Amino acid sequence: MNYAMVRRLILKDWYLNRWIIIASVPAGIGALAIVLIGKPIAFMLCIILLCMIIIGVGAQLAMVTTINERKDQTLAFVMSLPVSWREYTAAKILANLILFLIPWLALTAGALGVLLLPGATHGLVPYTAIMSVEMLITTSLIVVAGIITESQAWTTAGIFCSSLGLNVLGYVFAHLRGISRFMWGNEVHWTPTAWTVLLAELLMVPLLLGLTFFIQSRKTDFL
Amino acid sequence: MNDVCVRLAGVSKKYPHFQLENISLELPVGSILGFIGANGAGKSTTIRILMGLVHQDKGSVEVLGHAMPSGQVAAKQEIGFVSEDMRLYGAATLAWHMAFIESIYPAWNQPYAEVLLRRFDLKPQQKIKGLSHGQRVKAALLLALARQPRLLILDEPTTGLDPVARREVLAELIAVLADEERTILFSSHNTLDVEQISDRIAFIDRGRIIAFDDKEALLDRWRRLRLVLPPRGALPQLPGIVEVGGSDRLPVLTTSQFDARVVSLCQDRGATVQAVDPMTLEEIFVANVQSRRELQPA
Repeated sequence: MNYAMVRRLILKDWYLNRWIIIASVPAGIGALAIVLIGKPIAFMLCIILLCMIIIGVGAQLAMVTTINERKDQTLAFVMSLPVSWREYTAAKILANLILFLIPWLALTAGALGVLLLPGATHGLVPYTAIMSVEMLITTSLIVVAGIITESQAWTTAGIFCSSLGLNVLGYVFAHLRGISRFMWGNEVHWTPTAWTVLLAELLMVPLLLGLTFFIQSRKTDFL
Repeated sequence: MNDVCVRLAGVSKKYPHFQLENISLELPVGSILGFIGANGAGKSTTIRILMGLVHQDKGSVEVLGHAMPSGQVAAKQEIGFVSEDMRLYGAATLAWHMAFIESIYPAWNQPYAEVLLRRFDLKPQQKIKGLSHGQRVKAALLLALARQPRLLILDEPTTGLDPVARREVLAELIAVLADEERTILFSSHNTLDVEQISDRIAFIDRGRIIAFDDKEALLDRWRRLRLVLPPRGALPQLPGIVEVGGSDRLPVLTTSQFDARVVSLCQDRGATVQAVDPMTLEEIFVANVQSRRELQPA
């Protein structure tokens, strides 16, 4: 693996997508600030805006770095460089993950921080952490769809399914007894159920990305 | 000049509606191959196999001593590739692209890149999306040439260019030919461009190489003969006849195996040779393709 080349390709994707990443952080902080109004409607609005920003950034990144590369015919330029398909796949996965982690980490930390403020519903911390990681999985799924299928239609279907899945899983997790029991309390309770869900989610990310490598290694035509 | 830069041996690749069959080519170091074929003939597929971007089903490919596709990373370190369907990043400037390529290729020649900027009338601070098609091709060519590759692969680079841009691109390529160590593969369906710069010619049609020869030898071998036959005279049997036109009395024969003996053979059979016309590369290509297609309909 030519790590220097992978690094250059990641930096390239950062350069080409830096504005959306940079803009998403203040936009997310603005969304978080709404919660300080203190009304239930503000809380709901904050959650909706945060989800929109995080999922939107992930989907946009995946579309631009994978689908548009083929659609705009820049893939031929990249693949004419001394890079193997394995290195290209690694660069795409890492670029998407690293670039997404910038707003994701900032906004997840911000959301958890807001929940830990005096007077906030501290019991929501485990559920928020679980749903944040769920959004990381959602983005990974979209990236995987983009890299493997290189098709706008399939990636759009991936965005639709993962957004739907996020809502369904959000509902399911909120109704798991080990999570729902303490969710609206004033103390943070990391129950075995919450830990199990979180760890299972965290395992899903490398599993999805590993699957991408496996499928990509079986391809024979790259242009 | 004896070292081989590119070697394809028995290369095949099957798609649902197209097949590349048994492609064999050998390109010595320093040679310039004009790779001619109609649209969809298999030029781009062959080039993608050469670049390691498409894996061949059968046969072996060697580029600059590296087996492809396994050795593609090392091979591409010494290849400059420009394709008609290759685009640069629209949101980035040409200067960014130059810096990006320079960071990858240690042989990047900045003074030469600046010469090319002036010669092609390109502005490094201009974003690619603001360039015309001709300027984009020239920008891609600059990025390929300034890395000083040992092998330059150009897949239809002059397609869609206006006459001025085409002339500028060809002039630069002709200047590049001064480097005798550099091998060039120039694919096009525009035979005029290929004829200007190539020393070897390969014709490809329907996924098969139908001719591969030294350019001068090819141009020398193909001739159009205008004959006058005596009344009730039969058409002489000549070697390599691929096309018979004209009338019964005044036939026009196209041969792919012309030499001085052909004229004397005609005269021996009572025919008068009115003219022996040389053929352009385009005429040779069309006659070759048509005669093969008549023999082997799709």
